[in-house]
Amino acid sequence: MGFLSREKISGTQVVGDKRISTVQAPRPQRKSFFFNLYFGTLSLLKGMRVTARYFFRPSTWVTQQYPENRQELKMFERYRAELTLKYDENGYHNCTGCKICDSACPNNSIKVIDREGPSGKQEIDRYIWRMDTCTFCNLCVMVCPHDALEMTGRFESSVLDRRLLVYQLNRYAGATKKNIEKSKDSESKDLLLKSFESRTFYEGAIPLSTSDEKGIFDGRI
Amino acid sequence: MIEVGSLKARMESTPGGLKTEEYFVNMGPQHPSTHGVLRLVLKMDGETVREVIPVLGYIHRSIEKIAEHLNGRQIVHLTDRMDYLSSAMNNWAVSLAVEEALQIELNPRIETIRTIVAELERIQSHLLWWGVLGIDLGAVTTFFYGFRDREMITDILEETTGARLTLNYIQPGGLMFDIHPHFVKRVKEVLAHLKIKICEYETLLSENVILQNRLRNVGILTSEKAISMGSTGPVLRGSGVALDLRKQKPYGVYGSVEFDVPVGSVGDSWDRYWVRVEEIRQSMRIIEQLIDNIPEGKFMVMKPAKKLTLPKKSYFGQVETARGILGVYIQGCEKEEPHRVHFRSPNFNNLWVITQIAPGGKMADLVATLSTLDLVIPDIDR
Repeated sequence: MGFLSREKISGTQVVGDKRISTVQAPRPQRKSFFFNLYFGTLSLLKGMRVTARYFFRPSTWVTQQYPENRQELKMFERYRAELTLKYDENGYHNCTGCKICDSACPNNSIKVIDREGPSGKQEIDRYIWRMDTCTFCNLCVMVCPHDALEMTGRFESSVLDRRLLVYQLNRYAGATKKNIEKSKDSESKDLLLKSFESRTFYEGAIPLSTSDEKGIFDGRI
Repeated sequence: MIEVGSLKARMESTPGGLKTEEYFVNMGPQHPSTHGVLRLVLKMDGETVREVIPVLGYIHRSIEKIAEHLNGRQIVHLTDRMDYLSSAMNNWAVSLAVEEALQIELNPRIETIRTIVAELERIQSHLLWWGVLGIDLGAVTTFFYGFRDREMITDILEETTGARLTLNYIQPGGLMFDIHPHFVKRVKEVLAHLKIKICEYETLLSENVILQNRLRNVGILTSEKAISMGSTGPVLRGSGVALDLRKQKPYGVYGSVEFDVPVGSVGDSWDRYWVRVEEIRQSMRIIEQLIDNIPEGKFMVMKPAKKLTLPKKSYFGQVETARGILGVYIQGCEKEEPHRVHFRSPNFNNLWVITQIAPGGKMADLVATLSTLDLVIPDIDR
């Protein structure tokens, strides 16, 4: 090829106290007018041959038709798009309301409100997550000692009102599955189960109303 | 009304001929070839650039100030948002500083995985730059080819780390996750794929005469000027100085792998172009040496919720990102939150080079020069 040599020019250079092996960049040569015209046209045709090869081979096309391929589209299992509490087949979660995720969150996107259960033990009351300020750094999942949280791949989270991005993750307020299994007799177990209160996405003062946002934002930053 | 005859007489009577008036042009903040919200005020004389004044602050988010309220583990995720194309290396720089503060010893597995992920990140950053360079100079095809191959690497990173750009993968004391079971297999596939594709890139763009004429002897940065302006990375190496932190002060496992440092000779846009394309090959060479023998061990050496109390000293961690040397200065004050955090970002110095090399050139050359400087604007403002 007349313009650029593909041979590598290796050398060494001393920078500071180290001898560093280098590769020298080749210089494109400027030659006579007709030489440039000939090889210039040739290089253009060579480049066009590459694009033409792709054009006529549908197997090399990589475009995905997004809204149409929703059924087949699967995110990777670790994909971070939505924070969720893990639920088992009976609908119990593992969250004890220990607030470690709350303090680990870099931008106060998590607010955990706990309560005292019937046996005097700490329980989760409300787990509020602000998706609108979340940066999906995964620290809450990483620090959770009870393996209660996970990030899921539900990435289509656009809504028309920003306030709809603040919601509760727990479906019920009450004891964890572990605490229920630990309870000694059926009486204390019933007491625990009776204290369960259901929680929905936008229930309560904080998630929906902007005037009550103070509850989430305690002014740490 | 001026008569034509009197104008001609005036032109002839003016000593040195008639000159055009100098005028100012705003390039940006919304301009496709600045790749972000960078504003350049250009003092123009016809088509010739006389002076370039960068105006910053359009994407300032006060990351350094916010970092004073966060602990060492939380600062890491902010650095994803600085130079978003080399987020793994940014995370690594903070982790190095925090690990120096807490004197954490890492195992070889963590170091090896960090190195591989950082090199993958470097390849995808250079691939994106390659594609965008094409579209800046009018070749739309390269944009799609660059993104197509970059997509394979972001898929690998996504599978392992759960994010495409803002990885937040390298943490103080180790890694956020262990590598995915498919990681090794997929990295090998990508390396085999890229080896063929890079030859295609050379045919498509490097050997193209139009590209060579647009880049050759455009924006010449001499090595003295490059050093005095504090530029690093491929910009400095394009000027012929083989300064690479991976060789100079090896961190990770860079000390035990073989690779060459590509350097230019003149310091023009062509040299910077070629240095980056060659760096893709060298990064592939590094990954090839490491991918087959990743040592066994833990992926995190301390408890994930451990308190990171920083002793009252100052700490400095620096890494070679895809754009140059990133330094992280942390001053501790016996608390979890540092007293002061400062980032020495490579793009800030690399941007200021433009004020020295663009004057005297044409407007279209400025676009080519900006493109080969490979700026990421959020890293300049922080």
